[in-house]
Amino acid sequence: MTDPGQPVDDIRQLLNGSTRHLACGADIDELLEQAADGHAGQLTEHQSHCAHCQAAFQEFSRVWEPVRLLAAEHVAVPATLKTAVASQIRKLIADVWYTFHLSDAGAISIAARVVATIAREAARTVPGVRAAFGRSAHNTTADPAEGAALRQHHPHAAAGVLGRTAVVDLAIAAEYGSQLEAIAREVQRRAIADLRAKAGLRDVTVNVTIDDVIT
Amino acid sequence: MGTDVDDGYLVRRAQEGYVDAYAELVDRHGQLAYRVALRLLGNHQDAEDVAQEALVTAWQQLPRFKARSSFSTWLYQIVTRKTLNRITRSRPTESLDLLGDVSKAGEEPGQQTERNLTIDAVTDAVAALPPPQRIAIVLRHFEGLSNAEIARITGGTIPAVRSHLFRGRRTLSQTLEQWR
Repeated sequence: MTDPGQPVDDIRQLLNGSTRHLACGADIDELLEQAADGHAGQLTEHQSHCAHCQAAFQEFSRVWEPVRLLAAEHVAVPATLKTAVASQIRKLIADVWYTFHLSDAGAISIAARVVATIAREAARTVPGVRAAFGRSAHNTTADPAEGAALRQHHPHAAAGVLGRTAVVDLAIAAEYGSQLEAIAREVQRRAIADLRAKAGLRDVTVNVTIDDVIT
Repeated sequence: MGTDVDDGYLVRRAQEGYVDAYAELVDRHGQLAYRVALRLLGNHQDAEDVAQEALVTAWQQLPRFKARSSFSTWLYQIVTRKTLNRITRSRPTESLDLLGDVSKAGEEPGQQTERNLTIDAVTDAVAALPPPQRIAIVLRHFEGLSNAEIARITGGTIPAVRSHLFRGRRTLSQTLEQWR
C-alpha cells in the first residue's frame, strides 16, 4: 500500500508488482483497468472524492494513451491476402475442368469455378435476389469413380464433365415478400443464357435453391 | 456485389461446397485475421503468413465447425493458435516495421515521425510481453473483446484471463513510462 499522502509521481514504482493498493485502499489493477478501458471519467462515489484515485487515473490514462492510439489505427489488409487464400483453396478442392473443346487454333478449357461464377453473377442481377452463391454440381454423366475420388480427397471437391455441358447449383437468399418461384425461374433463365453466351456451353442445367429470405 | 446475409448463412453454404460463400467470409473477416496477427507479432510479413494459414485452415476445418460460437470467435481461436505456434517456433522478430501504415493525411512530417515513434514503441512493448499476456491484451484492448470471449478463444478461465490482463497492463504501462 502507498503511504498516505504520497504523490503518484513515479508510476513505475506504483506498478512494480509489490504494491497492490493505493493509500485509500483502492485496488491499483482495477483502477488501471478502468483507465485502460477509457472509463477514467466514470468515477464511483469514492473515486469522485478521492485525490489518490484521481491522481492515479490521470497517470494511468496518460501512460495508456499510446496504446489507445495504436488500437485506433486502421490496419490495411495486404491486397495479396485474399488472392493467396483463394489460390490455396483452389488447390485443395482439386477443381476440375468443366468445359473443354478443341478449336482450329487449339484447346479451350474453362474451370468449373468460372462456370459457377458466371451463373452466380447472372443470378445476382435478378431483382429480389439478395445473395447468390454458385457451385459446379456433380453431373450424372460424369464418371462416378472420378467424383468419388475427388470427394474423398476433399469434401468440397467439385466434379465436372468434359465437353460443353454443365450442371450448376445456385443457392439464393431472396428478399422477403418476393415471388419466389418467379425469381427462381428468372435466375435459371439468366444464368443459362449467360453460360451459353459467355462460356460457349450447350447443355446447361441450373438447379436453384432458395434457402433463405431476408427482410 | 456485397451480400447482406449473416455469417451463419455463409458458413452453411461454404460447408456445402459453395466456395464463393467462403470467399465472402474471407472478405468480411480477413482483416480480423491479419490485424490480430499483426498486433500479436508486430511484423507485417509474419502477420500475412499467419493470416493466410489461418484462413486456409478455417476452410479445411469448416466441415467440423458446429457453429456453437460465431465464425469470428472461431477464427480468433485459429489465428491466436497459429500465432502462438509461430512465436514458440522462432525468437521474437527484430524488425517491427509498422511505419509504412501509420502516417495520417494532413499531419506535418514532425507529427508523423512522433506518431510513428509512439506506435513503434507500443508495438515493441506489446511484442515483448509473454505470449499469454500479449494475447489477452491484444484481444481485450485492441479487439475490444470481453474477458468471457477471451476465455472462450484461449480455452482458459475468466480469472486466468483477468490475471494475464492485470500483469500485462502493469508491464506494458511500466515499459511505456520508461520509453517516454
